[in-house]
Amino acid sequence: MYGRSGAELVRELTFDDHQIRRFNHDLFNKVLGEIQEHYYQVSKIMTLLQEENPSGQIMHVDGNYSGALIHHQSLLRNKRCLLSYLYNRAQRIQRLRWQLGAVLPEDVRDLLHPSEKEFLKSYSDILGSYMTTVDLDLTVDATPPKDPYIKIRVLQHIGEVLLGDQTTSLSRNSIHFMKRTEAEPLISQGLVEEFNG
Amino acid sequence: MSKYYDLNDILVEDEVVSTVFHHKANGVGYLDPGSEDDNVEKGAVVELPLWLAQDLSRRKIIQVNLPPCFGAKVRKEVQADPACVNLRSKCPYFYEMGCKLADITGDPSLGGFLLSTLRGRYRDILCKALTSTITSTPKFMTLLTQEETHLFEAGRDSMRTFQKWRLQGPQLERAPILGRKRR
Amino acid sequence: MAGQGNAAASLFTEPEMEFLGEDETISIIPNVRLEAVQLICGDFGPFYPQIPVKVPLWLGIAMKKRSKCRIQPPDWMSVERLAQVLDDEREAPREFQPLPFHYVEISRLLLDNAREDFENNFMVQSLLEDIKDVRWDKVEAGLKTLSTRTHAVKLKNVSAMEVNRMRNFTVRALQSFYKHDSEDLVKQTGLESDSQTTSTSSEHLPRRTLRPR
Repeated sequence: MYGRSGAELVRELTFDDHQIRRFNHDLFNKVLGEIQEHYYQVSKIMTLLQEENPSGQIMHVDGNYSGALIHHQSLLRNKRCLLSYLYNRAQRIQRLRWQLGAVLPEDVRDLLHPSEKEFLKSYSDILGSYMTTVDLDLTVDATPPKDPYIKIRVLQHIGEVLLGDQTTSLSRNSIHFMKRTEAEPLISQGLVEEFNG
Repeated sequence: MSKYYDLNDILVEDEVVSTVFHHKANGVGYLDPGSEDDNVEKGAVVELPLWLAQDLSRRKIIQVNLPPCFGAKVRKEVQADPACVNLRSKCPYFYEMGCKLADITGDPSLGGFLLSTLRGRYRDILCKALTSTITSTPKFMTLLTQEETHLFEAGRDSMRTFQKWRLQGPQLERAPILGRKRR
Repeated sequence: MAGQGNAAASLFTEPEMEFLGEDETISIIPNVRLEAVQLICGDFGPFYPQIPVKVPLWLGIAMKKRSKCRIQPPDWMSVERLAQVLDDEREAPREFQPLPFHYVEISRLLLDNAREDFENNFMVQSLLEDIKDVRWDKVEAGLKTLSTRTHAVKLKNVSAMEVNRMRNFTVRALQSFYKHDSEDLVKQTGLESDSQTTSTSSEHLPRRTLRPR
């Protein structure tokens, strides 16, 4: 009650600007439950008012009127908290698509609600089909390009990768010279880093 | 409507103010820990979150009392030395809440107080933001309200990214979402 | 990244400013013979050994990295000119001396990639450092004068990077002042107002241009 749980849910998002945390099912459902309760209370008071005053006209402020108002406002407040939680998470999920590509790492995927996964997939499909139509990968060159080739250092063992027309073995700490556009997704995923040595 | 999804705005409205009920309210006893039945009586003094107080006071069901952080004592303190007052501990959403309360309570001097507070603290924030070093989060930040923190960070972050660019030039970076994990 | 990532991030990142600065032209002295290249931004070349030619900065640096040319230091980057600029900057504490709009980016790129093409490169670098600091002090002094009723700030001859560095802070500060200075909020008399919005009415305030003086 009081909209406290709703605010707590929203506060969770302000702890970090970019990160995604695990979808908070418990708190989310708790707020949903509160909305149900407020709805029930409003209906109860409205029935009372109806019996007292069948015309439905509210002539003056009384206890029932104030009570119904407070429950109604609480309901709306909780709704706002829930929607804001979902909306802001959806924004961050869109950003994931740009930064990590269409396939998320397992541990990031696990943080999402099933319907958020579905949202990500639809979003990714739209973006993908647009990029196919214009024949351009919009997710690369997020920072302005310099030389078309850069030197990278491998941070995690990756194994055989097809680069251009040949396969290269990317093992940990090895240094490679590769196309910038090919390196960019790997860097973004934290597998390799740009090497200025 | 533009602020409907705004996280900050939602949290500002979660702050609590003390109010007096002009009318009885039925079925909301949970608001008033002192109430014996399920109702809040006329004349009861109840702490309400801002989002609820806003609407009820507009309908003249309650009257909102100005919280102590906008009271005479704090005003005097701020006037004496605006930059040194720890406003964060008094109210983290000092300015945002002040604006909303000026509207609700109709206090004619509140707006002016907010403005002179901001003016008094602005220069210090400016100087500290532009000179703060790359790593340290200065103690100074613990004095700042939310809005001041954002202002401070805007300045400091520009300085940081500029320094970083000067030292190493443009560089590709991993996605911030992965930031917390070890390298 | 502009447009995505942190919403509060500045409109341009430093690498993006650098990218814009790379379109400025610069003189190079090739040591190879090359046909003219046709680019979207124009045709450049043909290139003959020892014959100076103008190219965009990015092309000049790409060639320099492959040892295909020497960079001709721009006039404004000579020790004499920079020393003069530094003097003038110090003489006029409230004015900025004219320098190329992207002087920070250009000088950094040149000194990073073509250091040996500058005589006295150490001197050039240190003069540029000093100029940068003197100018930044002026920016800071200007920012200190921001206050209520500041609706615009005019800073003649400020360079791209300097604007970018202060953009975020300035915009936020102006927004805060603007918000708290709105007429609805700062009431002189105790007029009762039912208005639920607390903005828009201050559009009628007189506009004042703030000069850095």
